[in-house]
Amino acid sequence: MKMVIFGGTPGSGKTSVIKFVMQELKDLSIHYAKFDVLTTEDHLLIKDKFEISTEKKISGEICPDHYAALEIPKIVEKHKNKDLIIIETAGLCLRCSPYINEGLAINILNILAGKPSSYGPLLTHADLVAITKGDLISQAEREIFRSEVLKVARNASIIEANGLTGEGAIDIAEAIKESPEIKGKLTLKHSMPTAVCGYCYGNKTIDSEKTLKRYSLGKELKARIPNLNCGKCGFKSCNEFIRAVLDKKVNEDTCPYLEGKKG
Amino acid sequence: MKIKKITIFSGRNKQGEKESFEKIEILAGQKIGIVGPTGSGKSQLLYDIEKLSQGETKTLRKILINDNKVQKDLRTDPARKIIGYLTQHMNFMTDTTVQNFLEIHIMTRGRHRSEESTKELVEKIIDSANTITGEEISKNTNLLILSGGQSRALMVADLAYVSESPIILIDEIENAGIRIKEALDLLIKKGKIIFLVTHNPILALDTDKRLVMKKGAISNIIYTSVKERGIANYLSWINNYLLNVREEVRKGKKVEELRLICTPVGGEK
Repeated sequence: MKMVIFGGTPGSGKTSVIKFVMQELKDLSIHYAKFDVLTTEDHLLIKDKFEISTEKKISGEICPDHYAALEIPKIVEKHKNKDLIIIETAGLCLRCSPYINEGLAINILNILAGKPSSYGPLLTHADLVAITKGDLISQAEREIFRSEVLKVARNASIIEANGLTGEGAIDIAEAIKESPEIKGKLTLKHSMPTAVCGYCYGNKTIDSEKTLKRYSLGKELKARIPNLNCGKCGFKSCNEFIRAVLDKKVNEDTCPYLEGKKG
Repeated sequence: MKIKKITIFSGRNKQGEKESFEKIEILAGQKIGIVGPTGSGKSQLLYDIEKLSQGETKTLRKILINDNKVQKDLRTDPARKIIGYLTQHMNFMTDTTVQNFLEIHIMTRGRHRSEESTKELVEKIIDSANTITGEEISKNTNLLILSGGQSRALMVADLAYVSESPIILIDEIENAGIRIKEALDLLIKKGKIIFLVTHNPILALDTDKRLVMKKGAISNIIYTSVKERGIANYLSWINNYLLNVREEVRKGKKVEELRLICTPVGGEK
């Protein structure tokens, strides 16, 4: 099985490019998973067009990229008979993008969206960078942009892609076909930033004392739950559960695995 | 790499039928027009050429240079790329001066030798851009405030002097604000091959031949006649005349006399 992760900021043309790439991969059995924060219809569009299995993963209160890293093993397990798993990230964070070493990491990069040097791992850790919307600016600027990209993503191969015409889709499909099979433990290409403050546990008041208090309470509770993200409490992740407990929306006993639980 | 010839080997149209020719050969210094309605396959043909496709695109066409396949880095690395592309859109997004922008591009293209030579090259580009557009560009102008005509002129001059790609693809360049024929002459001066998607008669009738697209295939090849070239010349003259009048208007002058050649002298009674 192969796995490819598409990352890129909203509006960079990820879904459009993926559709053209899938056109070139019709001989493979594919599962497609779209991660997003609030809502998405992309999985339905792709299901209708290609008649393959698709799903959406809505992260809600937690970082969609952390959520993706949590969910990827489950997706792999469920679809291990497929030739290829395509993951499309929400693309909100330039820092977290959940690229894995074993698969192929593709950054769909909107040429109009700022300097390459201000992108983090989303760009710098990509194996392949597909530059979109290049048709809107001059060739000279496209060339300059390309060399700027190479300065921060030295080992990436670069493809000029277009979500309207399908330009570049053949090259991306070729790279996917040549990418290695994933096996064994999957590892992230880079560590994601730690979530270590009261705001991560849902604090809204801008006050360092209250934030610290909320953090301590959250941390204390986190140590007592298994962090399996099993979902038995009704929340997608343990972090969401903790926030709800701190907000007094739900009792901590709702977690079936809570340490030191009464009864 | 010296380019003497491009060969297009036929592929298939949208219905999967074979194109009606075996191969088309284009020699250095030729201008080739590509015409046809929307959706007839013009952009796809440009794409095949840009990719120097070897049968992997949906048309299955094969493109050879000097009877050979082309190595991958000559297709993608901007410093060595043999194909230049002038797209329909020529917006700029970098907030910098014309001079600085050209200097960066010269560096990117690996053409920086010394400060002095780069400075000279920048001046040459701006000078020739100014022969194409009516509104003068100065080296300190900010890129973002260039008008449509100035941007087009600057990009054509940049393509001629910095990019030096021996093959140039042009997708529906607009002629508003520039002397379009002179712009192309600037490009072709150096023995380049130009492919031109256009329905602008000034350009289309001034090519060596026109490839007529239909349903995704090259359905006909028209060799430009001497008469057509004459018409193109005349239309170009009208376009330049229009540009001059436009400049008069821009300068706040009154325009009260029409000086078209075709106006009979002393025609008024």
